[in-house]
Amino acid sequence: MASGVRKVSAITRRELVAYFSSPLAYIVMTAFLLMQGYIFYLIVSYLNNPMTQAMAPLQLFFGGTIFFWLFLLFLVPVITMRLIAEERRSGTIEVLLTSPVTEGQVIVGKFLAAFAFYLALWLPTLIYVFILRQHATIDLLPVAAGYVGVAALGVLFLGVGTFTSTLTDNQLIAAIIAFAAIVLLFSVGLIEQLLVSSSAIKAALGQMNLWTQMDDYAKGIVDTRHLVYELSVGILFLFLATKSLEVKKWR
Amino acid sequence: MIEVERLSKTYVDVAVVDDISFFVPEGQVLGFLGPNGAGKTTTMRMITGFLPPSAGRVVVAGCDLDQDPVALRRRVGYLPENVPLYPEMRVDEYLRFRADVEEVPRGELRENLEYVVERCLIGDVRRQVIGTLSKGFRQRVGLAGALIHQPPVLILDEPTVGLDPNQIIKIRELIRELGREHTVVLSTHILPEVEQICERVFIIDRGRIVADGAPEELRTRMVGNPVVRVTLSGASDGTVADLALVPGVEGVTDDGDGRFRIEHSADTDPREAIFRLAVMRGWVLLELAQEKATLEDVFVRITTHDAASADVVPQEV
Repeated sequence: MASGVRKVSAITRRELVAYFSSPLAYIVMTAFLLMQGYIFYLIVSYLNNPMTQAMAPLQLFFGGTIFFWLFLLFLVPVITMRLIAEERRSGTIEVLLTSPVTEGQVIVGKFLAAFAFYLALWLPTLIYVFILRQHATIDLLPVAAGYVGVAALGVLFLGVGTFTSTLTDNQLIAAIIAFAAIVLLFSVGLIEQLLVSSSAIKAALGQMNLWTQMDDYAKGIVDTRHLVYELSVGILFLFLATKSLEVKKWR
Repeated sequence: MIEVERLSKTYVDVAVVDDISFFVPEGQVLGFLGPNGAGKTTTMRMITGFLPPSAGRVVVAGCDLDQDPVALRRRVGYLPENVPLYPEMRVDEYLRFRADVEEVPRGELRENLEYVVERCLIGDVRRQVIGTLSKGFRQRVGLAGALIHQPPVLILDEPTVGLDPNQIIKIRELIRELGREHTVVLSTHILPEVEQICERVFIIDRGRIVADGAPEELRTRMVGNPVVRVTLSGASDGTVADLALVPGVEGVTDDGDGRFRIEHSADTDPREAIFRLAVMRGWVLLELAQEKATLEDVFVRITTHDAASADVVPQEV
């Protein structure tokens, strides 16, 4: 067990070294922060308009706008595309899988690195909370819930991306498949609104609506149904990634 | 140390490795020799536990691949072809990473690290980023990584490919040294390499082991009687008959212009007697050379499937 933790953490640390020694990490971070800063600016100036009704700015920030989703859907595949695909391309996967490491440990280690990088991306946005606190009293609990939502979405999307990265040795293809899969997962919930009849399908799709889930988090509602959905689907994809890695060896 | 029993790997209908069995005792340096696509890499990948066999059994250092693949992987150090490394890491960082995944006990980490660094002569580049290293250094770093957990068995796939002649010599020396403490299996399609490094050679062709023995043994077994070439001035018609009477000689052919090809049994050396005979008869000895078939000849003979080219002309040594 202890040696398992050591191996997983070695893989995670190595992956983080790889992230931060490529220009991609810095480009992604810069673009992310520029984008978030711009969204934040838009939200604040929108709410400053006396014509608009009063709203909590951070509620809009967390999933209240399409920008949040656009960028997130695009960003996650970029984070995950290299995880396994690059190991397969360079052949290092052969060295890794002939050491006493299981496929599951490889996947978990890689995923944790991607997740850590994802959280690191969001970390600087705490400064918006700080800025707002200088000018107004804000309720911190919904903000905390918003970050929980961001983390849960991260598990779901990064899990999908980790899986697609095992499918190919081409990073670009891995990213495109991940993008398609994540957009599909995201839009499944949106279909609900197109259905007129109140069938069971509509109800089920409603539960899978990530936009309303994120809205709930942003309002300060941490619904365990949402958490269970996001985490379990994320973990399902990590399991699939492990199986895919095992099967790939057979060829 | 390595036991392989009826091992096969079949892709769709093609048997890449076809029912091979062998045993490698502890401390042996074994070479897999074969043309490209003969199944060398596939066999190695199965022994290292990377590729599951279609059929057959692999036991390395007492660990059965079927029963405990992770334990087997622990006992094998593997350097794949083309030496895959993480270019963005520093050498030290990489070796520490390998030590972590190979379960080197923390207490022994520093000691093992110093050992492989010294062994593989990479002390000067420890702080360097792997991506900036020359091919020779990368090879040594890869080897150091495969050695970090002191595995009883070392498997090296084409360890000298792409190196310059100086680097090749250094890597070969290193492998020979490692052979004293580890059981080593290496693959190559370079013939002098196995003659220099290996105690035992398998010639692999189309997924089968077609020859197995010491390089020296294979040479004599496959090529037949050794040959001495003589060029004489002043030879007459009776020279062939005279030469045939020299002890050990089993056949003499006259190639014209005073050149003779003399076949003799492997346990004799008739050169001295030929010289004395020439002095006695008053022939002037212009050339007296022993021919030895190289392993190259053996290799070509065994792996060439075209009957016409199977007739090998031995080279002079």
